[in-house]
Amino acid sequence: MPAHSTDPLLHPEVRQASILAYGAGFVASTVFMAIALVITLGRVLPYLGLLAAISALAMLALLAQVVLLFRLDLSETQLWKTVSLALVIPLFVLSIGLTGWMFHTLYPRTMLHFMAVQGSGSMM
Amino acid sequence: MSGAQPVLWLPGGEEHDPIANKTFGFWLYMMSDALIFAALFAAYGVLDHRFNAAGGATARQVAHPVDAFWQTLAVFASVLAYSLAMVKLKAGSRLGVLLGLGAAALLGLVFIGLEIADFASLIGQGITPERSGFLSMFFVLVAVHGLHMLFGLLWIAVMMAQVALKGFTTEVVTRLLTLRLFWTFQASIWVCVFVFVYLRGAF
Amino acid sequence: MSLVHLQGSWTPWLGRLTLSVILYHNGIVDGAFVFAAVTGIVILGVITYYRKWGYLIREWITSLDHKKIGVMYILIGLVMMFRGFIDALMIRTQQMMADGPDSPGHLQALHGYLPPYHFDQIYSSHGTIMILFAVTPILVGLMNLIVPLQIGARDMAFPYLNAVSLWLTAAGAGLVMASLFIGDFSHAGWIGLIPLTELPYSPGVGVDYWMWAIQIGSVGTTLGTVNLIATIVKMRAPGMTWFRMPIFTWTALSTNIIGLTAFPVLGVALALLGCDRYLGTHFYTAGLGGNLMLFTDLFWIWGHPEVYFLVLPAFGIISEIIPTFSERPLFGYITMVAATFAIAGISWSVWLHHFFTMGAGPDVNGFFSVATMLVGIPTGVKVFNWAFTLYRGRLRFDTPMLWAVGAVFLLLVGGLTGMMLAIPPINYTIHNSVFVVAHFHCMVLVVAFSIFGAIAYWFPKVFGFRLDEHNGKRVFACFSLGTFLVFAAMFALGFMGMTRRLDYLADPHWKPLLIVEEIGVFFYCVACYYFFRMLHVSIRDRAKNRVGADAWGTGRSPEWIARSPVPFYNFAATPHFNALDEAAWRRGQGLSDVAPRDYEPIATPKNTIAPPLIGALAFGFGFGMVWRIWWMAGLSLIAIIGVVILRSFATETEHVISAEQIRSMETTGSSVGIVTDHISPPVAEAEAFL
Ligand code: HEM
Ligand SMILES: [Cu+2]
Repeated sequence: MPAHSTDPLLHPEVRQASILAYGAGFVASTVFMAIALVITLGRVLPYLGLLAAISALAMLALLAQVVLLFRLDLSETQLWKTVSLALVIPLFVLSIGLTGWMFHTLYPRTMLHFMAVQGSGSMM
Repeated sequence: MSGAQPVLWLPGGEEHDPIANKTFGFWLYMMSDALIFAALFAAYGVLDHRFNAAGGATARQVAHPVDAFWQTLAVFASVLAYSLAMVKLKAGSRLGVLLGLGAAALLGLVFIGLEIADFASLIGQGITPERSGFLSMFFVLVAVHGLHMLFGLLWIAVMMAQVALKGFTTEVVTRLLTLRLFWTFQASIWVCVFVFVYLRGAF
Repeated sequence: MSLVHLQGSWTPWLGRLTLSVILYHNGIVDGAFVFAAVTGIVILGVITYYRKWGYLIREWITSLDHKKIGVMYILIGLVMMFRGFIDALMIRTQQMMADGPDSPGHLQALHGYLPPYHFDQIYSSHGTIMILFAVTPILVGLMNLIVPLQIGARDMAFPYLNAVSLWLTAAGAGLVMASLFIGDFSHAGWIGLIPLTELPYSPGVGVDYWMWAIQIGSVGTTLGTVNLIATIVKMRAPGMTWFRMPIFTWTALSTNIIGLTAFPVLGVALALLGCDRYLGTHFYTAGLGGNLMLFTDLFWIWGHPEVYFLVLPAFGIISEIIPTFSERPLFGYITMVAATFAIAGISWSVWLHHFFTMGAGPDVNGFFSVATMLVGIPTGVKVFNWAFTLYRGRLRFDTPMLWAVGAVFLLLVGGLTGMMLAIPPINYTIHNSVFVVAHFHCMVLVVAFSIFGAIAYWFPKVFGFRLDEHNGKRVFACFSLGTFLVFAAMFALGFMGMTRRLDYLADPHWKPLLIVEEIGVFFYCVACYYFFRMLHVSIRDRAKNRVGADAWGTGRSPEWIARSPVPFYNFAATPHFNALDEAAWRRGQGLSDVAPRDYEPIATPKNTIAPPLIGALAFGFGFGMVWRIWWMAGLSLIAIIGVVILRSFATETEHVISAEQIRSMETTGSSVGIVTDHISPPVAEAEAFL
């Protein structure tokens, strides 16, 4: 092969390794998860408030991982990974969100059993 | 290409970067894998009603957030160890990479061990996947992540052998990079499992 | 977790397999068995007689060449399509015979000639085969063949992975075929009607065959999508900017994005069903907290994107053929690209239109109804673009063009009936009627027409000679007539209230239209005959029909600057692209015949036995799981992992051809196409096969 007889260790994806970023990624995601754990155990928030808070913390942890561990950005090396992730995220939202919405409206119409337990169960 | 003649052919003009191609291809595979989890989480949302527990254990009874937090620490630390191995890779240190991979594998084993212990204790209390739709979902969702971890451990073992035997060839370096993506991805999935199964379930 | 308890016999060595599952007492299945066995023995005999085993294994089965892999995909697809067609013939004949209480019964059937359980298996295998093992492999094969050529690449980004995908697809197709002879196939429809697919209602192996065949095949398809996306993003030759990419490549990109993201959801839907059937969980069971609607939901999250996975490459094919035979550039290139991605995007949020009647709230149905109808806008853009390309073009009606125009016509009928179905109040009255069947057959036939057009269009590129026009047009005429007779009648029957999947029809008034459909099927049979004749005549007279690089004289996209037949290295020197529609541009500048001046060494991947081995082991795994022969499934799985690991230790997987060799092959014009008499260079040096 003519082109790539170069040293693989010089490849930009090898070069991007950085103690600082990786360490910060570890600390950030651990801290966010620890906060989430504490507020869950503290039982101060109502259900929806808790859900919103821990979801937000999960998003923050994921963001930290995407930026600091995966090192995604718009550089030439990472551009297409970033683009593909950006294209796929809406699909998570669609598949999980629309499924949730659909079943949310479906249950009261189709499940007699639902009526009986609706009062005590938590809605999704 | 003399004068105004346009360039039609470029002998040897093929300058593809095989490492970048592979890591991008692997990233695409991971996107697809992420949708496996999206579908599982969607299903988890559906099967998480009171009546899906069919009178058996509910999320509250199976989700132990503190135990799961130890798992969280194990998987995060394992990813950190692997990442540090990549810093050593940059320096071209074989021993450093091997140590980092070894540490990552050990911490990964700790994670798996904790998960197995958790499952075993649940099953010991009669809380089994066959009991109800909810429990089926709980066990399968967590186990699918666990299977990914196991697969990653096998892969780490293979890579340790390849680093030791072959050194840093283009193929080996490519695989170390893709495996890092895979391993870090397991931490990201675990964030979702931890938050949406264990913390939310504990309410 | 423990395994479910099954009724019936089970032994550790053979699982559920006993002699009685192979020996039938049904004339039809025996006939099919004899037919397939005889065909198989004849083919194997011919290969042995002509001593072609070595050739086949060395040049094809172990090949990593994207063109050979593409051809093998298409061959698998065509064989499966033939099988699916026989199923269709049987379905139509049964329904024609079994109409009305007085209709006679033959061969153990009360009415018609197929007992209900057998009939159900036939329509289930028809749908499964046609969508997943006929049309999908053919399209993947076409993309494999053409996309690297269109972007000036030497091969796919991952040639080895490409072969693995092929052989996994083959393993899935093999499982469907095996079910014909060993045990039975699912009777629960191609969509896996739940809870019919649950163990208590389907205790046999049929559903397991359906499940594992799809599961294994779609792993192959998913890996293939990774490969095609990476190829398009990363392997484009210099000058091939995004907006010089041919439309077929654009549609390939969008369709593979759909495939990449949708197939995993199908995998989950089936895997959870598998847990229910093997481990006794309660995902979709009617009791104990299962939720049957969940399967339907997950299945269609994949199912609807999948239908666009099929139709988008077909749109790409139409967009290649119409400009070539109108001698004009494609009208509205940019809008075509935008429409392609709009369709792909919207296709992800419409799946619920497959179960409006399930009972979700009116706001949910309304949302999905509007989203579904939105698809009509970009689709309309496409149709108008094709029409404007044709307008004032210098039209030539060679076979590919006939198929393309036919496809556009069917798209109109299928699309407009789809719009009707997308309106919930209408849907409530015709859901599950054969009107739906007619709708989606129009759509799937858009794909089939495009496929036949594509085969005629690109055949000379790959093999160096054209297919026989005379017989090709007869295929088109008979196929179109058949389509019209069957599906016009079927729309009418849908309005008359005929529901889907009936082995016995109560209303004798449907008889005349059912006979019309049967006549249509007869024309399909004639088309089939002419198809084989076309192949025979074309190969016999190939010397007469040889073509140069630009097989049709008016080709526009870059594949037409490569030699025909394409040499194994595709381009002797990397092409540099200067314009959209490079071939047309070079022709316009009088540069079509400018050959490269210098050559550089070219590296091609060496052949390897690993991918077919993985395919064979995947078949073993599937078969072991279906029959619950645990040692077989377990060993196969371990062996697959072993092969993958071993292969990862292989070195020197590439073979380099010197610049001198290239020069001599280019200047003597020696035959380096896909079918050669001598051993081709990548094979000659591949001694270590793994
Ligand atoms: C304009 C675009 C389209 C619209 C508005 C549309 C709409 C619909 C709707 C509403 C249904 C559900 C009918 C029912 O079961 O009640 C349906 C079924 C179906 N459509 Fe389409 N469709 C479109 C394009 C396509 C395409 C491009 C294909 C395939 C290439 C396709 C294949 C199918 C299939 C296979 C089914 C039925 C599956 C089954 O139940 O077995 N459709 N379509
Ligand atoms: Cu649809």
